[in-house]
Amino acid sequence: MSARRSILAAVLLVGALAWAQAPVRREQLIYSILAFNGKDYAATFARAGADSLYLVSEVDNFLTVRNAFVYYWPITQDWKTDTSVLNVPFTGTLQLTGPGLKEPRLITPVRYTYYNTRGEYELNWKVATGQAADQAWQEYQQLMEDYYARVQEYQQARGAYDAMLNELTIRITRMRDQGQDVTRLVEVLQNLSSPKEPEFPRDYIVPPRPVEEAFVLNLPVGEYAIRFFAEDGSVMEGSERRVVSFRKRRAEGIGLEVIPGDKWTRPVESTTPSSVLYVDGSADLYLRPFFQQEYNDLYYEKMQRNDASGNPSVMKWVRIQQVPQAAIRLAGPGGQEQVIREEPFFVEQVKGASLGYRIVPYDPQGAHKDRDPSLQAFHLPIARGQPVLRLATLDKNGAVLPGGGRQVRVVGPARAGFVGLVLALLPLAVMVGVMIARSRRVSG
Amino acid sequence: MNHRLHATRVIARRRIQELLLSPGFYVAAALGLLLGYLLVSGFARSVDSSGFDFRLHPVFDLVGRSLQGAFGGTVVQKLFAEGPFQLVLYVAFLPVLLFLAASSVYRFGLERKVGAVELLSYGPADGTSYFLAFLIKDLLATLLYLAALTGFLAVTAALHNLVLGPTFYYCLALLPFASAAIYAWGIFSSTLTDNSASALAVFLALMVFFLLVFLGSFTIASGYVAGLSTVLAWIVRWFSPLYYWDQALRAAEVSGWPLYALNLALQLALGAAVLAASHFILRARGVRP
Repeated sequence: MSARRSILAAVLLVGALAWAQAPVRREQLIYSILAFNGKDYAATFARAGADSLYLVSEVDNFLTVRNAFVYYWPITQDWKTDTSVLNVPFTGTLQLTGPGLKEPRLITPVRYTYYNTRGEYELNWKVATGQAADQAWQEYQQLMEDYYARVQEYQQARGAYDAMLNELTIRITRMRDQGQDVTRLVEVLQNLSSPKEPEFPRDYIVPPRPVEEAFVLNLPVGEYAIRFFAEDGSVMEGSERRVVSFRKRRAEGIGLEVIPGDKWTRPVESTTPSSVLYVDGSADLYLRPFFQQEYNDLYYEKMQRNDASGNPSVMKWVRIQQVPQAAIRLAGPGGQEQVIREEPFFVEQVKGASLGYRIVPYDPQGAHKDRDPSLQAFHLPIARGQPVLRLATLDKNGAVLPGGGRQVRVVGPARAGFVGLVLALLPLAVMVGVMIARSRRVSG
Repeated sequence: MNHRLHATRVIARRRIQELLLSPGFYVAAALGLLLGYLLVSGFARSVDSSGFDFRLHPVFDLVGRSLQGAFGGTVVQKLFAEGPFQLVLYVAFLPVLLFLAASSVYRFGLERKVGAVELLSYGPADGTSYFLAFLIKDLLATLLYLAALTGFLAVTAALHNLVLGPTFYYCLALLPFASAAIYAWGIFSSTLTDNSASALAVFLALMVFFLLVFLGSFTIASGYVAGLSTVLAWIVRWFSPLYYWDQALRAAEVSGWPLYALNLALQLALGAAVLAASHFILRARGVRP
């Protein structure tokens, strides 16, 4: 019996191992793509079977042609590259044909880098090519070297400070034990100040990446064809692709990130400008308005991940960045208005069996001293029985932002729900009435 | 021409009387309103502290997951952005639209077959005035039902503290125009065939075809399939009321009112063209098959 079980287990194990074999890797010519998606650079690749590349128009996008292993990963259901074993970039030129180009344009690779500097808004993307790219990279390197030099100095100073502190403490303790006067040493100890830790450079939100070579495509809207010429002037087999250059349909929309007070880890987004926020009134809302842009669903998805799917007939709103220094004007059912401002909040875990969270105002001097706020948002108090709140998003000058208005309605099961049912069945009552009247008329 | 108009008016009046005296219209209307009621109350039960979540109600869970699988999350999100009423409008209108269109197609085919239309054509009416009377009856019944449906939905919205939303009104204004084109295709099917059963079959096949092509160009795709269905849709779309309906809603989405109005007019033009084709077919084939 035991032998049979062992054989069965061995067979199952072998079967399982056979089933869990590594995915097949195929060597392919791929286009490696760094595409600007309106808020960031998204990296993707177009494998051999992908006939189209999708890029946002009028911005710099970077393409490289390379040889790599490609495999399908069933767990996440997408294609991946294995560049650890094979990642050979090809050198040559890219030929571009399409609308507005009388003759094919030959594009040569350029040295490039890109980075996002800190400013009033989150998005200050800059692209540097050629010498400017090297310069940008060197500036960043210099900045970091200076910082690390300051860190080293700080660590030395800190070490000296700690040693001094330690020595003084030991001396004071010893002298006290011997009954000697320690006033002078205590004074020295009190006047000792610890060295200040240098701040990490805040010049960049996204620092420049190491300078590489790529084809920079910055195209007007349209459909183009590309193919890659090797250094010997021959067309690389399998390098022909279609490039779809598309643009946003609208940008004048404000979306709202809605964080319910009882589910702060599960925020939802209200993106359609005419949408209504229906809630059950069981928790307050915390809102964060953001700028958004509207793109074709299929194009946008495929620009972010070339083997993704999407709906070609639908436009979707894409979150770009938070509205800086915004305010929200709130109008209640009586027409009374109030302007609410962004405030810091802290999320506290509720003690007891409920195991929930509670969002409370951030108290930097008291309960939340030395801790960072959990979120910055606009607090919208919600109560059951509150019929409707109308809100408008204002910019830093107090002007209403178009597309930033919403209604918040507290919904619940209707108190007189049977009224709807009775109304729905009213046509049957009319039918019965008509038939009775008709039969009376006929019999009469 | 005046004779034809007069005959149309008289026959239409008679048809409307028949419609109001028979139970079919009331049953279809009650079915539509009941579906609307169930969807609205289901929506109200699918709202929690973070908003509408279709997974909270079994009916919406089924509808939401099916739509999400076929058309993607963006479509579902847009469909329910203003509330349930865009979906409710279509679902509640469908039974009445099908009843009116199918009953007219069947009746017209039957009356042609048995010679009733031929009999009338010896008198003051002709085949064209006969089918125009059907169209008028169907359009008036549609307007009557849409008025009742809007009133009903306004009451249920008020009961649940919901709002009908601007998209609801754009869709509402579109429905009579789209219905007119659909009814015209029904008449076309009747004139094309010899009996009521085949007329009904041709009409339903046409509608299913339009719907499939429309949905095909609307489904979630990864590139090649989308291209293929777009080519097919490009050919068929000029004949489909759904295409103009979709174009009008797209225009309304970006406040393109001239384009919205143009698509309403194109719906009417499509209906008129199909009716004109029906007129010539009827004249060529005769009022009795």
